[in-house]
Amino acid sequence: MILLKDVTKVYQTKTIETTALNNISLEVPTGEFLSIMGPSGCGKSTLLNIMGMIDEPTSGQVAIQGQAVSDYHTKAVARFRNEKLGFIFQSFHLINELPVIDNVELPLIYRRISGKKRREMAQTALEQVGLKNRMKHFPGQLSGGQKQRVAIARAIVGQPNIILADEPTGNLDSVMGNEIMEILLNLNKELGTTIVMVTHDETMARKTHRLVRLFDGSQVL
Amino acid sequence: MTRHILRLIWNKKRSNALLFLEIFFAFLILFAVFTIVTRYMRMYQSPLGFQTENIWIVHMNLNPVTDTTATQDMKVRLKQELKALPEVESASYSGFVTPISNSSWSTSSDDNGFEISTHMMYGDLDYMETMGINLVQGRWFNESDRDARYQPLIISKKLFDESFKGRNLTDSIYDINGEKRIVGVIDHFKYKGDFAEEVNLSFFYGEDKTLDLPNLHLRVAPGTPAAFEEEVNTLVADITKRNDFRIEHLQTTRESRARQVWIPIIALLSICGFLVINVSMGLFGILWYTISKRRSEIGLRRTLGASKSEITLQFVGEILVVCLGGIILGAIFAVQFPLLNVFPIESINYYLAMIFSAALILILVVSCAFYPSQQAARIHPALALHEE
Ligand SMILES: Nc1ncnc2c1ncn2[C@@H]1O[C@H](COP(=O)(O)OP(=O)(O)OP(=O)(O)O)[C@@H](O)[C@H]1O
Ligand SMILES: [Mg+2]
Repeated sequence: MILLKDVTKVYQTKTIETTALNNISLEVPTGEFLSIMGPSGCGKSTLLNIMGMIDEPTSGQVAIQGQAVSDYHTKAVARFRNEKLGFIFQSFHLINELPVIDNVELPLIYRRISGKKRREMAQTALEQVGLKNRMKHFPGQLSGGQKQRVAIARAIVGQPNIILADEPTGNLDSVMGNEIMEILLNLNKELGTTIVMVTHDETMARKTHRLVRLFDGSQVL
Repeated sequence: MTRHILRLIWNKKRSNALLFLEIFFAFLILFAVFTIVTRYMRMYQSPLGFQTENIWIVHMNLNPVTDTTATQDMKVRLKQELKALPEVESASYSGFVTPISNSSWSTSSDDNGFEISTHMMYGDLDYMETMGINLVQGRWFNESDRDARYQPLIISKKLFDESFKGRNLTDSIYDINGEKRIVGVIDHFKYKGDFAEEVNLSFFYGEDKTLDLPNLHLRVAPGTPAAFEEEVNTLVADITKRNDFRIEHLQTTRESRARQVWIPIIALLSICGFLVINVSMGLFGILWYTISKRRSEIGLRRTLGASKSEITLQFVGEILVVCLGGIILGAIFAVQFPLLNVFPIESINYYLAMIFSAALILILVVSCAFYPSQQAARIHPALALHEE
């Protein structure tokens, strides 16, 4: 379960102050597939980053799986992200110099799992996203949809409880987008993974359990 | 982690090649400079084996000799009179070859059934005393040598170690420029000066009157004023009735000789210093550049659970592996010099130079890599991911 209470995020630059999130309180129960929508710049990514503990709220509390987060820079938080969270980004964020299989193994490296075991787990994850035959390819040799499937394999390889997906279909055409959506729906249904997904696509959002709408940093629905 | 880093490096061969080559060439240049410097430093460190402080040498020209007996008598008298001066602690004659001069005299033979190769000098009874030479075995020349059946010979420890180890010295006669009996072994005697390899050396015996020993060595008392030279000058001129002699201060010669070596060494080291600065700036630049290019990768790694120290370690590790590669390739080239004996230089100099070069480069790399890598670890994951 993810719990946000009165979360406010203000970005302070030299000249301007932007309130990206304004007093957001939100509860995501375990096993829920939640989607977040809203116009560009309304604070969706900021919200997701705060849930993922890679960004720090200006005020308010964040608790994940009953644990309140206070210091965001500790090893323990890094470890928590590594073990409990999976991230998927709009622009995939694959390392182009590494073949698909190594990209998928990446989170496991920081978990100090042996090379052999890593390989096995990565293969299983790639199998789940239907990319077992592309293991040795480099990201540059893949289509957009395939890249995002690699990113999903990387997000699920460590069997996280929560997946945070920031516009995972944003860079894909509708066919590929649907493919990705199917994989996420399956993960949620079969493994009970909690998923929070930012999307611009109403039809995608409608397939999830619940929809939260943001406008100018505030929740409107 | 190690395998992960190696794979990353391998897959980025092309961008790493430049750094690799830079380190490779830097290693070779440092190796060359350090080989030279180490060689000279090691020579400088090894003992000279004789005194130069307060040693004056009167270089005389005895030719043409019209009256042999008169010249011989004059030589004996000159030494006695100089020795009688209170400022002169010791006086002795040597042959044409004097220490730290440009002359040398050498021979080699295998007439004795084994190879003997040696430089040669002449000395009289007092030479060891005057020059402060250390004896390690046997004795220096003495009165009994004058009428001995075989000419006496004193060899250096280096020659002893090289050719006479395990051989009977005292009871045997060896043919070294004629039949000789070895009566003593002296310790070091680097007669070519501080920055020279010690060579095998033998001393032949000569009497005060011998015309082959025209150079008179004086050891003056410490603190003897420079004005005393004038006195010596007058005395020598009076007794020899000539003006074509020259008084050399051995310490001055030694210092000016050393200076001739120090100056190029310092120049070489300065070049090295510039090279080192250059390489460091290059390394620093490369790192800043790569890290700024890889911000989103760093953000990603942090997001996926890498700790700050793991990020630092990865970047330092990557650059270290590439540099180690350059050093290893450089070392493979460098080691050919001692293996193939390219120059007549002791192998140890090459190996020390290799160690120094590798250590210097590694220290540079780690210190240059550390700061940027630490900065990389500080990158805020949310920001770095956002930027792309
Ligand atoms: N690092 C930052 N510094 C300053 N302002 C920021 C920063 N990151 C985001 N913002 C501002 O915060 C607001 C919310 O940004 P955010 O990225 O969360 O929007 P978003 O809803 O994800 O938009 P999009 O749909 O375009 O991805 C924006 O006005 C943005 O300009
Ligand atoms: Mg966004």
